[in-house]
Amino acid sequence: MSGIWLAVSLLVLAGAAYWLARRRQQNLALLRNRLVAVTQSVRQTGDNIAHDLRTPLTRLRADVEAALRQEDGKVHRAALERVLDEIQGMQNIINALLALGQAEAGGMRVKKKTVDLTGLLMEMIELYAPSAEERQLTLKGRIDPNLTIEADRQLLARILSNLLDNELKYVPAGGLIMLSAAARGDKLEILVEDNGPGIPEDMRDKIFERFARLDPSRTVSSGAGLGLSLVRAFARVLQGDARVIESSLGGAAFIVTLSTSAADVSRPAP
Amino acid sequence: MLKLLIIEDDVAAAASLKHGLEESGYAVELAHDGESGLQQARDGDHDLWVIDVMLPKRDGLALLKMLRDEGRRAPALILSALGKVDDRVNGLRAGGDDYVVKPYAFVELLARIEALLRRARSLSSPETVLQLADLKMDLLGRAVTRAGQEIDLQPREFDLLEYLMRHAGQVVTRTMLLENVWEYFFDPQTNVVDVHISRLRQKIDKSFSPPLLHTVRGTGYILRMEP
Repeated sequence: MSGIWLAVSLLVLAGAAYWLARRRQQNLALLRNRLVAVTQSVRQTGDNIAHDLRTPLTRLRADVEAALRQEDGKVHRAALERVLDEIQGMQNIINALLALGQAEAGGMRVKKKTVDLTGLLMEMIELYAPSAEERQLTLKGRIDPNLTIEADRQLLARILSNLLDNELKYVPAGGLIMLSAAARGDKLEILVEDNGPGIPEDMRDKIFERFARLDPSRTVSSGAGLGLSLVRAFARVLQGDARVIESSLGGAAFIVTLSTSAADVSRPAP
Repeated sequence: MLKLLIIEDDVAAAASLKHGLEESGYAVELAHDGESGLQQARDGDHDLWVIDVMLPKRDGLALLKMLRDEGRRAPALILSALGKVDDRVNGLRAGGDDYVVKPYAFVELLARIEALLRRARSLSSPETVLQLADLKMDLLGRAVTRAGQEIDLQPREFDLLEYLMRHAGQVVTRTMLLENVWEYFFDPQTNVVDVHISRLRQKIDKSFSPPLLHTVRGTGYILRMEP
């Protein structure tokens, strides 16, 4: 009798060991796939950085060489001023990449506080409206009163600022930009939409990737191609997400969804 | 002459900083590690300290905290190469008065040093009326007049003008305005500050003479009588 029990126990043990080993293997495979994906994305990013920094570097080099061939102090000064502008542009790219890396690796500490979201959105409209007007754009708000969220005010403001920078850059003159926010159950939805050309369907996920641009021929300007990746990364730090759909206004609608009680510990992006 | 102490281990960076600050009229002392920096800060009678965070022998924030715990009150400007979101908070918590991320623009650093020195001087007398030429600001009544004529400002324009008035005669950068007037600690990619400034200029300068609000190319703005 005890022999049978022994055999059964051994079988169970062997089964459990096999199951554990398989699970470990599966976990390892999963981990391996993630590592491969991360490595690929790092390599891709590295290629893009090299490419995006090479363009301003080429301009810098040409500028400095041309200036050095001349003795004129005024020419030197003008060249140095352009050099400084290019440096600022490259610095912006590097700062954005550092912030992205930090957000995605889960290294960003978030200070959870009750934020008056309605107030913050109004403030953002107030901050950007004159710049919008200068570009012949209308910036309007449709914001529910008394919206609050447990989150980091600076991070929320950076999300909104990146979205509005993006709008001001891409919506053609005469356009309308609408900022709205509303509570949906235990979630908050912030919408930044416009009546511009919109985002083609096959690009709607891509534009949140680093260095993604709708028009690949566009030359690099300050931090170009990183704003929307920052939006998504910061939204995920606040345990939310960002996506884009077609707006009822005819253009693009960027939607940031946040849980009303964004946690105080950041999580790596999935 | 105002005396500054720079504690920075990058010898070349410290030397060029010293050179720039001396050109701007300050007496500058250097220290290249945390230990000698601490000693020099204790021994010297400096008007301001510029302290790098990452220093050999003793890190900048620990050093500053020690000086503060000893009751030393010179304004401190923190330099950091890290630039993480919470660095600023850690720097201010350790007793720093302002914070600049490397690589910084010299004019940004200079503007902040001047703002800190000015703040240290004016802390003793809280003003309720600010005046520059014929431009007057009543902070309690929140009223602005130029040449006796009332000027209608939006609340944010009022805050913007107040900050400029408090730093009259001194360059303020766009970053300083964003941090102090809007309380945003990042730089938007759009020229938002410039447009607000040009609206304010319309109101306080357009129908009056001389112009008071000037653009400093590549740096920021200055409110003063002479162009």
